[in-house]
Amino acid sequence: MNFLALFARNLTKGPYTEPFPFAPAPTAKRFRGKIEFDAETCEGCRLCERVCPAGAIRMTRTAEGMTFDCWHDSCVFCGNCEFHCPTKSIHQTADWHLAHTQDQKFLMVEHALIPNQICAECGKEALATAPATRTVTPPLSPTETQHLKALCPKCRAKFIRARKAAA
Amino acid sequence: MTTTSIADPMSPATTTIPVGPLHVALEEPMYFRIDISGERVAHVGINAGHVHRGIEYLATKRTLIQNVVLTERICSLCSNSHPEAFAMAAEEIGGIEVPERGKYLRVIAAEVKRVASHLFNVAILAHLVGYDALFMHVMQVREIAQDLKEGVFGNRMDLGAICIGGARYDLDEETTALLRSSLDKLEPEIAEIEKTYRTNGSILRRTRDVGVLANSDAIACGVVGPVARASGVDYDVRREAPYHVYDRMPVEVKTRQDGDVWSRAMIRLHEARNAISIIRRCLDTLPTGPVNVGEKPDVPAGRAVARSEAPRGELIYFLKTGDSEQPERLKWRVPSFMNWDALTFMMRDAKVADIAIIVNSIDPCVSCTER
Repeated sequence: MNFLALFARNLTKGPYTEPFPFAPAPTAKRFRGKIEFDAETCEGCRLCERVCPAGAIRMTRTAEGMTFDCWHDSCVFCGNCEFHCPTKSIHQTADWHLAHTQDQKFLMVEHALIPNQICAECGKEALATAPATRTVTPPLSPTETQHLKALCPKCRAKFIRARKAAA
Repeated sequence: MTTTSIADPMSPATTTIPVGPLHVALEEPMYFRIDISGERVAHVGINAGHVHRGIEYLATKRTLIQNVVLTERICSLCSNSHPEAFAMAAEEIGGIEVPERGKYLRVIAAEVKRVASHLFNVAILAHLVGYDALFMHVMQVREIAQDLKEGVFGNRMDLGAICIGGARYDLDEETTALLRSSLDKLEPEIAEIEKTYRTNGSILRRTRDVGVLANSDAIACGVVGPVARASGVDYDVRREAPYHVYDRMPVEVKTRQDGDVWSRAMIRLHEARNAISIIRRCLDTLPTGPVNVGEKPDVPAGRAVARSEAPRGELIYFLKTGDSEQPERLKWRVPSFMNWDALTFMMRDAKVADIAIIVNSIDPCVSCTER
């Protein structure tokens, strides 16, 4: 290898290193970084909690509903949760800015709440999860999905059965 | 002073020096207790176990799906080969047929890792020889592979390319273009590096006839991978027991007869170039269709053995599943386990200054071996 030629090439190209933090570092679109959770589309199946190898994800029933917590200090950014999530409510962003001071360590959490709601039919309190509609044929219309979302699990099943019988 | 046999470790003329456990060649702990006589190695004692983390036990406490990620994190340089062999064992038990596209994608991931891993080892060799300008250059070339991994798989080391029943990623137009352009950049650079290692005096003086492993010793130790092929053992799992779609790939198994440090480096550089042709063939013939069998494939109770060719050689996985989601036993035999025993042969009568070069030449992966 001609190191003089290499030297000339490197001299004209300039530094290979990124000027971060003085300029933004280029990040790949597919970069597997921080977890983001969307409580709106979550069906509450808790599969993410079960497939997480690091135990970073916890979903807990509280008086207000069900909380979702992803502890970024435990997360290994493997993306198992996103891969197995049936609704893709959980996904990895390309954000890797996770450096923090020691006093911030318990705050590096993606937190969300799937609230309780009063069922529009029977009036019972139940979780306002997104209805699991992927296997329903024919597919539900947006208004039907909206209606289904306002129901408790029992009334949802009743609605689907009635719809199937009518079809 | 009376002359004593240099091979006798008990002779009063020998001195014992510790090499390691930190920074022998790579930044991984391995402890050698070396008796030296003058400037020559008289006896080598290998002490292992500094990074034992109990991962085999941990694997029996995790579900199969979690273990795909756990096995990926056993070691960073062969991080794709571990889940690959693990998934192959699970698929064997479950009778799961990986879709064709998934098989191609797995080969691409494995070969990308091979390029980066071999370049890393060859770069460290230049560093140990004292040729740091070359070290920097090879690492810079490897950076092309690292950027490619980040762009296609989302991470520089842990690709997350494998799931039980197929591949976890897919290629689209953009990532295929990135793969192709990176390969086009890598290929001439690696050819140039290969030429340098073949001709450069500094490299040749420190690596030719150093750490020789004779063919008979290689067979006796059961070494695998580039170490075996550099000692004339013609063996590569990709050819002997083709998995995925390797039977359709242009796998060139090259052997050398000298068994010295230089031969091992040259085998690695050749394999890095060959890996590029394999990836190109994959991209050219990539079929359409699903990449995996679906979300949660069923793995019943059973046992299976799977093997794959990791960058360091043959990797064997044994998986025993029971009725629960957790495996009853998961065991793996890594290539470095076979290779590091051969160090005692390679270091016989070696110069003290060559110890680090010889250790690096087996590309030891201590974190895999001691898990």
